Amino acid sequence: MAEFLELNNISKFYGNIIALTGVTTTVNPGEVTCVLGDNGAGKSTFIKVLAGVHQHDEGTLLMEGEEVKFNSPREALGRGIATVYQDLAIVPLMSVWRNFFLGAEPKTGIWPFRQIDIEGAKRIAKEEMGKMGIDIRDVEQPVGTLSGGERQSVAIARASYFGARVLILDEPTSALGVKQSGVVLRRIIEARDQGLAVVFITHNPNHAYPVGDRFVILNRGQSMGNWAKEELSQAELTQLMAGGAELDALQHELAQAGT
Amino acid sequence: MAEVTTTNDSADSSSPAQDERLAHRGPVQQLLTRPEIGALIGAVGVWLLFWLVSAPFGTAGGTANYLDVAATLGLMAVPVALLMIGGEFDLSSGSMTGATAVIVVLLSSDTAELGGAGLSLHLAVPLSLAFALAIGWFNGTLVDKTSLPSFIVTLGTFFILIGAKLGFTKLFTNKVIAEGLDRSGGYEFWDNIFGATWIRNGHVWENDGWTNLWSSRDWAWSGLLIIGAVVLILGTMELAYARRERPILGGYWVFIVGAAVGAVGYILLLNQDSKSSNWVFGIVTGAGVLVAVAGWCLARYQPAEREPAPTEHDPRVVQFLIAGVVAIVGAILIAAVMDPENSDRLDFLTGTPGRAVLAIGIGATGVLAVLAAMGRVSVGYPAIGAFVALIPAVSYMITVQGARAILFGILGIAGVVLLSIAARRRELAVVFTLLTSVGIVILAFFIQSEAGSRKLRVELFTALLLIALLLAASAVSRLIAARRTAAPPPPIHGPLARQIGTVLGLAAGLLSLILELADGDGILYSLIMAVAKGGIAAFAVFAIATLYRTLFTHDESVGRSLVFVGLGSVMLGIAAKLMFITSEELANTRAETRFGVGVMLFLAFAVLGAWVLARTQFGNWIFAVGGNKDASRSVGVPAARTKTTLFMLVSASAWITGMVIAFRLNSVQANVGDGNEFRYIIVAVVGGCLLTGGYGSAIGAAIGAVIWGMITSGIGFATWNSDWRFLVLGALLLVAVLVNNYVRSQAEKVR
Repeated sequence: MAEFLELNNISKFYGNIIALTGVTTTVNPGEVTCVLGDNGAGKSTFIKVLAGVHQHDEGTLLMEGEEVKFNSPREALGRGIATVYQDLAIVPLMSVWRNFFLGAEPKTGIWPFRQIDIEGAKRIAKEEMGKMGIDIRDVEQPVGTLSGGERQSVAIARASYFGARVLILDEPTSALGVKQSGVVLRRIIEARDQGLAVVFITHNPNHAYPVGDRFVILNRGQSMGNWAKEELSQAELTQLMAGGAELDALQHELAQAGT
Repeated sequence: MAEVTTTNDSADSSSPAQDERLAHRGPVQQLLTRPEIGALIGAVGVWLLFWLVSAPFGTAGGTANYLDVAATLGLMAVPVALLMIGGEFDLSSGSMTGATAVIVVLLSSDTAELGGAGLSLHLAVPLSLAFALAIGWFNGTLVDKTSLPSFIVTLGTFFILIGAKLGFTKLFTNKVIAEGLDRSGGYEFWDNIFGATWIRNGHVWENDGWTNLWSSRDWAWSGLLIIGAVVLILGTMELAYARRERPILGGYWVFIVGAAVGAVGYILLLNQDSKSSNWVFGIVTGAGVLVAVAGWCLARYQPAEREPAPTEHDPRVVQFLIAGVVAIVGAILIAAVMDPENSDRLDFLTGTPGRAVLAIGIGATGVLAVLAAMGRVSVGYPAIGAFVALIPAVSYMITVQGARAILFGILGIAGVVLLSIAARRRELAVVFTLLTSVGIVILAFFIQSEAGSRKLRVELFTALLLIALLLAASAVSRLIAARRTAAPPPPIHGPLARQIGTVLGLAAGLLSLILELADGDGILYSLIMAVAKGGIAAFAVFAIATLYRTLFTHDESVGRSLVFVGLGSVMLGIAAKLMFITSEELANTRAETRFGVGVMLFLAFAVLGAWVLARTQFGNWIFAVGGNKDASRSVGVPAARTKTTLFMLVSASAWITGMVIAFRLNSVQANVGDGNEFRYIIVAVVGGCLLTGGYGSAIGAAIGAVIWGMITSGIGFATWNSDWRFLVLGALLLVAVLVNNYVRSQAEKVR
């Protein structure tokens, strides 16, 4: 059976700079694919290729067995690939329901009296958030008054409501505290259980390992490999992530300093 | 799952199992979180002030006067507010208004010696619109493509327009004025549109019968006001208290008897003008209303449980109580000591003493500011110095009666506010509220017996009595009825009532339009009448449907409909008072009252702007691009198009304003409108717009424009020294912005 989304040796060059090379992995519904890497490892480039902001230069991208190349974010969105960026596409001063439906407001009435179906929008926003397990007290409250984890949740709920089949999350936990990160990881599991394919980008192996089914590790634009969860322990993941040998050297140094 | 979210939210301490964790917020609290609240309070305050000081200000003539000033400002302030919410500024908007006017006059005036090009207005007017739209598009596109701040880009357009206006006007006419519009082809047609005025007197005073009854009595407007207030009370009670399973019909009978007694008392009160009868009928009216409220509560709401007696006393209650009483007594003293008919300037600090006080004030402000900067004194102190410096200015500007009105108003309002704060502090709340209302009643009667003019005797008296009754009614109902525990459900608007209302409203409007046009009335007048009659018909249907739902169904959500109906009739009453009905004394003068087309367009713009912002997709996008442009773009909002549309909207409104200006005088100064762009921005900020974008209100901007109009024309009405106009406007701007800021921070705390 063909994989839902299959990446074979994807590479991306900016002029003579090799931003990304040789990335191979699969993304399937009901699975979480984690992409790990340090700063400058090529995570952002990876997202942009998937989201249609940039196009890959080498390799193949197969969606349901058919080769695709997204020319614009709109095209990727049209195929059901939704991206929740790190800085979140939310407007803090606007209410939760207005943010939820921003850009795709449900409308009612006859032109020129066409207006937003406010009651419906509020109801759906509350229901959808409820489905993701987020209990918003008042959908009228400005998003700016929510906590970081809740904002992330609003963005995720919005993406999944608007027909996303693949959900790309760009470092959703990087700016959050421990508890808030827990909230977002829970959201990721909820999304996975609803049958979405999730691509979770992070630099924190402790966040990635518990929720991930498949791991891709990037280092300085190079893919270090592609593992299923069974093939890898958390310790190994951390080790790989930190660039193996370097961490060993550091540990060695610290041990010496301790004695 | 719910646990996780609730523990993360420190503001929420109630149990996570409770589904509805929202405390009920009444209409007043909801209003307090709106951006335009500062402007609204300011508008009411300014209106009250000038209404107290000057007799003609509160009449239809005065209203027409300040609305006219407000209209030319507000026609631009509303779209400028939308643009500001969208995160941009347009500094060319002011000179744009003049530019369209200059273009039309220069292109059209066909007399050779005036130097016009002699085009027909049928060409010139659309051409100027095309020009305006092109400039708007240019501004928007340039801002979008270059990502430069719109301040810079539009400053360029601003100078280009100023230069072009002056250059072309002098080139063609050798003067700095372009004139002769009324001699151009097609003038009749376009003057009918942009120069139209609606002369109120022509239609109200010619008739007798009904209109005479309306004009000679204050019943019409005060009746609407009072019915509206009663419905408003019922609506707020409906929102606040828990309903019984089945109403007790006896309570309704008590309500009817009380209401009837109150109504009879009020009619007698209006007809009698002696001191003793006022006391008697005032008490009868008040008692009737309170009995009616009690009956209503008994009939509909669950009985209140007795609250346990408080064990501790808040010492501040006594302080607030004393301060409130002192303020009320002070207000009465001021009213008694100062002469209400004296229109001389105060002039208590002129010449050398005035200069001395000014010097001391300025010096003290400077010294205190330095001390405040060093952290030695708190930041409030320099303000005190500034107030001292302003005393001579006030003395030069304001008349004795003006000072009396200001002091009386400030002290009276402060007293009422302080007393009601005292009443809010838990213990003995009901008793305090009743005491407060008694205090207000005494104040009302005092003014009434003492006042020289009928306006103060009747209008102010009625208003104070209404406030007192509102307070007393809330106290009585709190004593009887039990509060709701959860918020009432959202309203389900009766679809049937809405359909009938729409159809009937449209029918009434159409019928009126046909009849008026057949009568040979102007298009403008007929249209206004059609809209007004249609709206009133639809409103009446909704009111009747609400009444039915209130009495014969067990609809929990009827409260908000009642509040809507109440507010609607209060506003109708105010509109009737301001636009149609003058008080008896002034009716005899039959001064002509004109409402220009600008006023009508301004009101329409305000309503339309509010609707677009709150209800439409475009409005949502305006907030979004102003609040976070990149975010809104990434979720599919066409940010560039939205902003360019906003710029074009502003310049199209500038075209409309320019046409109104041009057709008013049939000639245009080359520099007309220059510098107004800052007024638009100021007015929008007074109305609650953030300079940083993403927050604000169209209605607020409209109210801001009305405030500006009221001050500029009110100072004239009050025969104050108008040299000081900008001092008042500047002070008001600062106060409004501070109030907005404070209210917003409070509102965010509430959430």
